[in-house]
Amino acid sequence: MTDQEAGRADRVVMRDIRKRYGMVDALRGVTLRVGPGEVVGLVGDNAAGKSTLMKVLAGAVVPDSGEIVFDGRPVAFASPKDARELGIEMVYQDLALCDDIDVAGNLFLGREPRRAGGMMLDVRRMHADARRHLDALNIRIPLTDIPVGGLSGGQRQAVAIARAVTFGPKLLILDEPTAALAVAEVETVLELIKTVSAQDVSVILITHRLQDLFRVCDRLCVMYEGTLRADLDARSTSLERLVSEIVAHDEEDKEGRRR
Amino acid sequence: MTPTKTATGAGTSRRVVTTRSARASAHIGRHAQTIAIAAVLVVLLIFFAFSADRFATTGNIFNLLRQIAPTLVVATAMTFVISTSGIDLSVGSTVALSGSLLAIVLQHGWNPTLALVAILALGALIGFVNGWFSSYQNIPPFIVTLAMLSIMRGTALRATEGYSTPIDGDLWIVQIGQGRIAGVPVPAILAVIIALVGWLVLTRTPFGRYVIGLGSNGESLRRAGVNTRKVGLTVYVLTGLAAAVAGVLIATRLSSGSSNAGSGFELEVITAVVLGGTSLFGGRASMLGTILGALTLGVIANGLVLLHVSPFYVQIVQGGILLLAIFANSKVWAKFGAIRK
Repeated sequence: MTDQEAGRADRVVMRDIRKRYGMVDALRGVTLRVGPGEVVGLVGDNAAGKSTLMKVLAGAVVPDSGEIVFDGRPVAFASPKDARELGIEMVYQDLALCDDIDVAGNLFLGREPRRAGGMMLDVRRMHADARRHLDALNIRIPLTDIPVGGLSGGQRQAVAIARAVTFGPKLLILDEPTAALAVAEVETVLELIKTVSAQDVSVILITHRLQDLFRVCDRLCVMYEGTLRADLDARSTSLERLVSEIVAHDEEDKEGRRR
Repeated sequence: MTPTKTATGAGTSRRVVTTRSARASAHIGRHAQTIAIAAVLVVLLIFFAFSADRFATTGNIFNLLRQIAPTLVVATAMTFVISTSGIDLSVGSTVALSGSLLAIVLQHGWNPTLALVAILALGALIGFVNGWFSSYQNIPPFIVTLAMLSIMRGTALRATEGYSTPIDGDLWIVQIGQGRIAGVPVPAILAVIIALVGWLVLTRTPFGRYVIGLGSNGESLRRAGVNTRKVGLTVYVLTGLAAAVAGVLIATRLSSGSSNAGSGFELEVITAVVLGGTSLFGGRASMLGTILGALTLGVIANGLVLLHVSPFYVQIVQGGILLLAIFANSKVWAKFGAIRK
């Protein structure tokens, strides 16, 4: 398959993405492709560059070089708004919520329902829609008019997830979406991933809960020090293999240094 | 997380109850300072009504409203700036510059309407410069507006050579400061309208929502796809514009443009905003509180003068009340468990 053919078949292709922060080479030429409806698990040790790579894809970080092809068209994101308009939604590790704004306000942040010709917020519709969206996702937050700063960690995470999945994304990026969730809530998120991917939504999942990856992912991509070092089929890969790819994939190298 | 449906239902309703009470206490906590300043204002009003003969007369109340009109106008805009966790120290100098230039261009025979528009545009431009440096260049607004404070005051002094410039009392523009509609002073009407519009914008528009979001967590707001720099710039344009309005109000009230007008004005405005419960760290704002704060400062100044207390005490009392209000906010009201910053 040539590059062009691949570009047409894939939801998104990131090619040779590089990003440097001063002395730190966060991304050293990463290439990643995700097909429509595919669930890709992105794993790697801390500081492997997973979050930075995903922020590039969500438009929150502008890369130094490299290209992104989305639905066959080359794109360049100057801000998260550009990515959002194409249907790329991300749940950030730090959730990216405004603590002083209420649940409904955070859910609709940046795309509030408006009235009076776009001049005014349609607050009533915001709360009604927020209620509907939260109920549809089985998220139990009884009141939509309390500031999210007053919610529990799990509830905050649920708000962040609801915000990303509610507006019909084509590509959903989840950066540690289950870290603060209770067991049953984790199940809900995993079910959610299966549901949206069945609807042809592509999902990229970053998580440290490796057992979750095997339940929902089609492919597993392992990052190491700013590079993509392994692209594995989730169905034929064992947990041991994955762990060894994450921590000790250059065993010989280390052995060599040790001696 | 309960397995059966009935238990789930019970759990949810129990949670609703606890969350309702949490919401109520959060609500009180968030508005504690607005409630406190309202109480202080009521106490002051009662005290002065009984101790100063002419305090509770219509004439004096109108006079008081006219006096605080410039403060209220700029405090309305300053509430937006402080909500983004910014600050604008240059408003007092902008008051002086806009008042002085208004008087000067009128003396040169400019059409008053044209002069008014030009002065307001100048105020907006000063705000634009403040906003560009602080929002687009990420220079701390304290430094940017401190520099502008100095530059604008200097420009006003240079333009007037330190003298006051009289404004011809026959021009219609003088009515902005001195006129009355149905007995109510025009500055008071203008200030109330501007404060109401400010309240509407802050609480009911996407822009107001983004202002709060910018002060609460700017990076989150940016990742939500909002052009945070534009929001951050716009609030300074608002204070610049408001300061020009205040400059026009003061100059036309006194029929004279002075380069010494508005010294210490920025601190009075910031005091009014902070008294009202708007957090200097951003994210929490109360336009009603700002109005009450400005009224409180005005009532203290007006009442003490009527009591024939030395005017030097006015600042002492205003400062004392500010310190008490902030102390109460951080210590006494903290037990309501609202988000503290």
